[in-house]
Amino acid sequence: MSDRLDELERRIDELRAGVRRAMRARDGSAARALRAELRTAEKAWDSLVSGEKPAGKTQGPRLVTVREQVHQALELLGAPAQARLVVAVSGAFLAGTIRSSQLTSLRRDEERSFRSSPFGRPYYLCAALTDRLSPARGYLTVSTWPVERRVVGPLSPRVDFLTCAIRIAEHAAGRRSPDGDRLLSRMARNIPGAGDEVPPDPARVAEAARRELAVHAGRDAGDRAELAGRADTQLDDVARLFGATTLTTVPRSVMAMGGGR
Amino acid sequence: MNRLDALRGTTPPKPHDARAIAALAANPGCTRRALMDGAGIDKDAVARHLGFPAPFGQSPFAITRGNAFEALVKADGCAELIRMLRELLGLPIDEVAYHDVENVGAHLRHTHTRALIDRAARGEGVGTVYDHPLFTLGIAGHTAYLEPDVVAFQLGGRFHIVEIKSFAVVDGQADPAAVAAAARQAAVYVLALRTLLEELGHDPLRVADDVVLVCPENFANRPVATLVDVRRQLAVLRRQLSRMTSLDRLLDALPEDVTFDLAPDADGRPARPVAELADAVRRAEARYAPDCLSTCDLCFFCRDEARQEGASDLLGRAVRDELGGVASVREALALADGSRAPAQGQEEIARLLRGAERLRRECLA
Repeated sequence: MSDRLDELERRIDELRAGVRRAMRARDGSAARALRAELRTAEKAWDSLVSGEKPAGKTQGPRLVTVREQVHQALELLGAPAQARLVVAVSGAFLAGTIRSSQLTSLRRDEERSFRSSPFGRPYYLCAALTDRLSPARGYLTVSTWPVERRVVGPLSPRVDFLTCAIRIAEHAAGRRSPDGDRLLSRMARNIPGAGDEVPPDPARVAEAARRELAVHAGRDAGDRAELAGRADTQLDDVARLFGATTLTTVPRSVMAMGGGR
Repeated sequence: MNRLDALRGTTPPKPHDARAIAALAANPGCTRRALMDGAGIDKDAVARHLGFPAPFGQSPFAITRGNAFEALVKADGCAELIRMLRELLGLPIDEVAYHDVENVGAHLRHTHTRALIDRAARGEGVGTVYDHPLFTLGIAGHTAYLEPDVVAFQLGGRFHIVEIKSFAVVDGQADPAAVAAAARQAAVYVLALRTLLEELGHDPLRVADDVVLVCPENFANRPVATLVDVRRQLAVLRRQLSRMTSLDRLLDALPEDVTFDLAPDADGRPARPVAELADAVRRAEARYAPDCLSTCDLCFFCRDEARQEGASDLLGRAVRDELGGVASVREALALADGSRAPAQGQEEIARLLRGAERLRRECLA
């Protein structure tokens, strides 16, 4: 075994020198490849020295796709939500394994899929629409929701927050978990009258959120109906799901063509 | 070509951001900085060419931390911020409207900000929190674009600038230097918003003097808001900006042929002889103070100069002000040990210095 260790140590030294050389030569890709190799070698050394068999992936195969996990979280929330909240809910209640970084390209992938074969999937994860019918930054929605629920008027961020809080409180009442309580108490802090006890009382949080929601609901519903009407009449299928293209989202190649003429 | 363009030479002007404008107010007496900023000179490039690069700019960790904290405060339609505004300013429950100005394209952001602020000032439509607004401020003939964190409105018909910073407030206390820097930066935004309201024909005083400073509390990441009065910073800033628009007086004091041009070659690398540039920079008088180290790219050059001259500036503003009328450390020491007779007007400070020297000798004996 010690022969094998010696050999690994030599290999690690070589790789380290290689990384240093690559860095000096500013060869980023070579340095990255060498670093990956170095990490593997170091891991092998670690497991060998502690007498373990080199373990494969610690995580089991992911049974539910990122897309499906996001969908489940959004269905639980029942309102447009930002990636942070989706990840938190998925982790707290749905045993989810998604990270925020996995959501960055999600909407774009969905749009590409929809464009290549429209309505080919039972649902799409799509954008919320702003008052200019462009995609709202950072919000995720589900294509099966009515357009009223997917548009964002001035009051909608607050209304959606309160709606999410109610849904989370209702869900948390059924199955308490430390992560769920933490998420709920973070939301409760920002709702007047929801109390600040730890762990939070889900019924009280839901009650307080409903009370504030009643203040905004009427005005917000009016804004949403107006926006949804506009979206229905002005937008085609793709834009209704993924938002109307604003000038900055026009691909560079198209801009260059226009500018060149 | 006007005089300022001549000072800058062939290098393109560097746009000002809020940090740079705020830093102006940190040292209003410095002619060198006023001239260089007025001409839009890239001070960092000058400092590097002179061989005094300042290890400047924020650390990437600080930037990441700042962004993460800002995202936390603004998450879920500014839920945390709305709670704090309700507690701090008594924001009514129904005032929760949120506008993200960044939803329009980058080139439209300023126009959109103007339209939204105008509508709010007229009392039309709903609007409480404006995220990612974009203001402009004229700095010595150039337009600087400024992005405050958030503008809050409808707290008694007044606009409040909200500044989100990630330094901690521990037990109600924060680093005074960090707070001062945040206040200076917020003052720039207050001034920009006031200018905007004035252009739109509204009362500029509807922008509150108090800015809302949001920081993490104690050792947790929980945000807490405090009101910071920026009237003093506003006054300094205004004076400094008016001084920049009337740079003529400062320019007149400068010989005609002085230029801070880096004379970049075809590759854009500065090709001007270093000694020549250093001479030119020295023609414009600097007022070095140790705080410059945290606000100005040229700090190391000016510090080196101050050291060579043995200037009392090196010892900080408090000492320099105490030593009023005594320019250098050598002169102060000479006055203290009596080897130099005090000039007219220096009798008082000479007496104090001699007293201090006597005390020191007694202590050491």
